[in-house]
Amino acid sequence: MSSKQNFAVNEKRDAPQARPAPLPWRHWLGVGPFFLFAFLFIFLPSLSLFIGAFQDASGAFTLKNFADLSRPEIVDAYWVTIRISLVTAVGGGLLGFAMAYGVTLGGLPAWVRTALSTFSGVASNFAGVPLAFAFIATLGRTGMVTLILKLVFGLNLYDKGFSLYSFWGLSLTYLYFQFPLMVLIITPALDGLRREWREAAENLGATSWTYWRRVALPILTPSILGAMILLFGNAFGAYATALSLTGGFINLVTIVIGSQIKGDILHNVGLGYAMAFGMVIIMATMMTLYYLLRRRSERWLRP
Amino acid sequence: MAFLTLTDISKYFGGVAAVERFNLDVEKGEFVSFLGPSGCGKTTTLRMIAGFELPSSGTILLDSEDVTYKAPNQRNVGMVFQSYALFPNLTVGQNIGFGLQVRKENEAVIKARVDEMLGLIHLEQHQNKYPYQLSGGQQQRVALARALAIQPRVLLLDEPLSALDAKIRVELRLEIRRIQQALGITTVYVTHDQEEALSLSDRVVVMSQGRMEQVGTPFEIYNYPRTQFVAQFVGQLNLLPITGLDLAAETCLLAGQTVQFEHHQSRQLSEAPRLAIRPEEFRLGALEGCNVLSGRVETVMFLGAVVRLRVEVGGLLFSADLFNERNITPPRVGEQIEISFPVHACWLT
Amino acid sequence: MAAAMSFLPNLRNLFFPPASSQAKDRGSKRGASWFWMAVGVLYFVLPLVATFDFSLRARKGVLSFLAYERVFKDPAFWKTFIFSLEMAFFTILVSLLLVVPTAYWIRLRLPKLRVIVEFISMLPFVIPAIVLVFGFIRVFSGAPFFLTNTSFGTNVLLVAGYTVLALPYMFRAVDTGLAAIDVRSLTEAAQSLGAGWGTILFKIIFPNLRVAILSGAFLTLATVIGEFTIASFLVGINAFGPYMSLIGQNKTYESSSLAIISFMLTWAFMGLLQFLNRGQASSSLAGAH
Repeated sequence: MSSKQNFAVNEKRDAPQARPAPLPWRHWLGVGPFFLFAFLFIFLPSLSLFIGAFQDASGAFTLKNFADLSRPEIVDAYWVTIRISLVTAVGGGLLGFAMAYGVTLGGLPAWVRTALSTFSGVASNFAGVPLAFAFIATLGRTGMVTLILKLVFGLNLYDKGFSLYSFWGLSLTYLYFQFPLMVLIITPALDGLRREWREAAENLGATSWTYWRRVALPILTPSILGAMILLFGNAFGAYATALSLTGGFINLVTIVIGSQIKGDILHNVGLGYAMAFGMVIIMATMMTLYYLLRRRSERWLRP
Repeated sequence: MAFLTLTDISKYFGGVAAVERFNLDVEKGEFVSFLGPSGCGKTTTLRMIAGFELPSSGTILLDSEDVTYKAPNQRNVGMVFQSYALFPNLTVGQNIGFGLQVRKENEAVIKARVDEMLGLIHLEQHQNKYPYQLSGGQQQRVALARALAIQPRVLLLDEPLSALDAKIRVELRLEIRRIQQALGITTVYVTHDQEEALSLSDRVVVMSQGRMEQVGTPFEIYNYPRTQFVAQFVGQLNLLPITGLDLAAETCLLAGQTVQFEHHQSRQLSEAPRLAIRPEEFRLGALEGCNVLSGRVETVMFLGAVVRLRVEVGGLLFSADLFNERNITPPRVGEQIEISFPVHACWLT
Repeated sequence: MAAAMSFLPNLRNLFFPPASSQAKDRGSKRGASWFWMAVGVLYFVLPLVATFDFSLRARKGVLSFLAYERVFKDPAFWKTFIFSLEMAFFTILVSLLLVVPTAYWIRLRLPKLRVIVEFISMLPFVIPAIVLVFGFIRVFSGAPFFLTNTSFGTNVLLVAGYTVLALPYMFRAVDTGLAAIDVRSLTEAAQSLGAGWGTILFKIIFPNLRVAILSGAFLTLATVIGEFTIASFLVGINAFGPYMSLIGQNKTYESSSLAIISFMLTWAFMGLLQFLNRGQASSSLAGAH
């Protein structure tokens, strides 16, 4: 009887030793540096811009900076940036989708797929200053394609109103990294279309078109929209490409903010902060949308 | 004339035969299973009936119509996939109604049929859920309802239960049989699980390496396997080497002990014939009119309903399954025992 | 005879995957696929051809590698390139030290923090580089940091900025790497065999994460080496990106040869990444444009 009791007591005393649960503070030690870093280099700068956007030159609270966002040149900067992001997201999205479709369901041989994935990895990361140089050599006034069009086809692009340093020129340049990015993002989604869905649809009497309209496209839509949102964000925050291509003459939000950092061109640093804050708001909205869409498609596609 | 006829169907993939000279008549309302190990061509054959693969040669007649090269969406054949293949973007009701909608049936007809199907599979309250909200077993029942909603001429099931848990599998098996009999629908069922094939089917086609090994009722397949492959693939089988074969007297020697067997003239014997006995044919003790062997118990495995012995007779090992009975203690390892089996229960291969 | 009969359908299977059995629209589908592929390839190749051609024309009338020669002879090229390499190295080091223990720990002990850590690692997508550097300057140029006053300080800021940029894909690479090896079981197995935390991390976890870590590293390298936005505001033409930009303003042919060199570098890094990721889901999504 007594030995039984002893045993029970021992067991109780031994239990914590047998399974040493690390102390709470040690738990947090592993993630501490990460959170400290995030606080210092993500949270603090964002917060500082946020506060700055609500301050006037003397540091007093004001809403004027946000009111100033409605100044025509600022609205125009946002509008151009949004338009260029939209155009390249949709254009790059469509081309990228067509290519990804080709290698997944379009019946192209396997080596094309391997080549495309390598090339997309490279091209989606080939951006900024060197990309601008490449497009100047291609579509600039003395660029190769410009010259070929002029000499062989008698078509003078620049006489027709085209300029590499304009909205459409910049869009063409952005497309260079946009459509490969689309390929990278959308290929897994196309792979996720199971063969059985198509077969089941056919089995139930559906034509190829019905299958796409009723099954495949609805399943893909969140992924396609989500991918285009990422493309949008990718173009929206771009600075280096636009700056080196146009030398700062195109009125993008990033370019305006960049000039503001270099010198007080807005004559109001608070307005610069408000513009930066506006960018974050737009990007955050986009990413929230992306997150919701992704959750939806993941929910459907959960095995 | 049979309802579904496959004549000389062959299918080659890059020169390799997946199915060779497959011939089968399925009667209206019959339940036929294709049974075999993976890669034996059973799924390929099923997919040719559905129209997802085209035969390299041969013809498929369905209700006296040649459908060999007909597009799958023109065949009016219902198919249930191993992975359910429910459309994830459509609700249960929309999935079931899909085929009718494609056929441009009017809404009232669709609604009535969907309700009827939901009743058939007992999922009335789940009509507006999405597939991801259902369990695997429920999803497969919806897939079954979806295939049946179009009132197909033939129902095809491709390993429909193999992605499910053992318990659900048995449950759903009964349900498939119930629904099939209630509707009287001609059904072809592909499986690698012999228990499923034997318990569900009117007839079973055993396949191996693209060829049909045997076609017959479950009773025939199990009790009168025509080839060694069938005998070994369906159920457990002891195959024991013999000496002193006397075909006229229908006797041979098994590890020195004389054994009587039944021999059918039609059966082709191999070069070195072996004696085939199913484990469940053994009884403990020396029974009157039976072959009796004496041997030593090597292992005893208690499986619940059955106690499986490994018995050693003169250097030969075989399995013997004894029914578990509460009042009988099974033999112990190392024990010397006598064990009997009926003359009609063993045969030569 | 039977072989001959099976020949035609065989060919059909070879060219048309059995995903669709409707033969009639396959031909046009493949035609369209090839067409869009050609458009994409043309889009990809033309600027490269044009740039390469341009870079060879530094000497009047003949094709030569003069522009490349000039670039490689420019001490500033080497100085800035090596500087950016160093910055990339520190970025990779810092991100790994931050991300690997965190990702490991939230898998093992603090799964409820996962949502927060994932959220934070996605934040750099929300904050464009230009905004980030704007915030950096506002916060760290004044008290109590004064980081913009010394070159050491700006280098620290640069590495921090790059680490932020690299965070999303570094975290994703490491996290999918951890998911693939089932850290919990590995850790418990090691513990049951008597291993301590140091042994577990350095003998078990890191070696098994090699591929994930290397792909994260190459991706970081590819984006950081020619990065312009953050570098131009923090360290100016000390870095490779701003150096290229400066060359672009003054020297036409050299800028083309720099674009080609830079492209080769990207290709090399991404090629290595692809090589590492053979057969695995690639996570080569980055973005610092």
